[in-house]
Amino acid sequence: MRSRAATPSRSRRGLAARRGLTGLADPVPWILVTAGVFDWLSGNPIHSTLLFAVALALVREDVAGRDRPPAERPAGLLGAPPAWALVLTGLLYAVLIGEFGRYSWPATVAVTAAGGAGLALAWRGPLDPTARHRPVGLAGGLAWASVVVALGLWELTQLLLQPSLTTDSRSHPTISVLTDPVLGSHPGRSVLLFAWLAAGWFLVKE
Amino acid sequence: MSARAWTLSVYGVIVLAGAVLHVLGRRPGSRIPTLGDVVRLATSSRSGRVGLVAGWAWFGLHFFAR
Repeated sequence: MRSRAATPSRSRRGLAARRGLTGLADPVPWILVTAGVFDWLSGNPIHSTLLFAVALALVREDVAGRDRPPAERPAGLLGAPPAWALVLTGLLYAVLIGEFGRYSWPATVAVTAAGGAGLALAWRGPLDPTARHRPVGLAGGLAWASVVVALGLWELTQLLLQPSLTTDSRSHPTISVLTDPVLGSHPGRSVLLFAWLAAGWFLVKE
Repeated sequence: MSARAWTLSVYGVIVLAGAVLHVLGRRPGSRIPTLGDVVRLATSSRSGRVGLVAGWAWFGLHFFAR
């Protein structure tokens, strides 16, 4: 009797272990953890916890076997609003939040709220699951991967060439250092906030 | 050439390479994907979609948040 009762349990454990291995084969959590480690080392432990938390949540979902096609969204509530409303809201957000300085509490709350909303929407699935995607061939995928990897490695090189990981360098500027002058003004912050929101909407929508 | 100019030049070349790929991908019948095609492919799985949006959220925090 005991051995018969234990079999399904062992089977479930085996399934979870296999899913765990599948989860470990997914490159996304590893990329997030790697980025999080470098972010932590360069003095941003709070921001890096976002990357660690998302990586952990993705592995957990893989182990639980929940990466199924998303269920249909209820109509209306989370459907795409009209473009003019999105643009107007984005502009208002960008102008209003751009008024506050970088690293101020209002900017922190506003950006955290938008980022959290984006993650929640992305977790549920694409806003338009019926959208058709153009196929990406191996050569094209590799070409784009080369650009992204080159940018990441060059950014990492500049980070390592700084006097220390937490000290900026004029000779070896990272992208963050290069954006400092733009983000020092209200118009600059507003433009980048609007671009950031637009990029987020594109990712969530797809 | 100063270290700063060299650094900026390489950033520029990488961005230019991305722009050229994107423009080539927009030609009719092109086999090269645009940036949008690649992002759509990446966001077709939950893991890719959530990973990209986490990166996006991190950018916002990194540049604006305390």
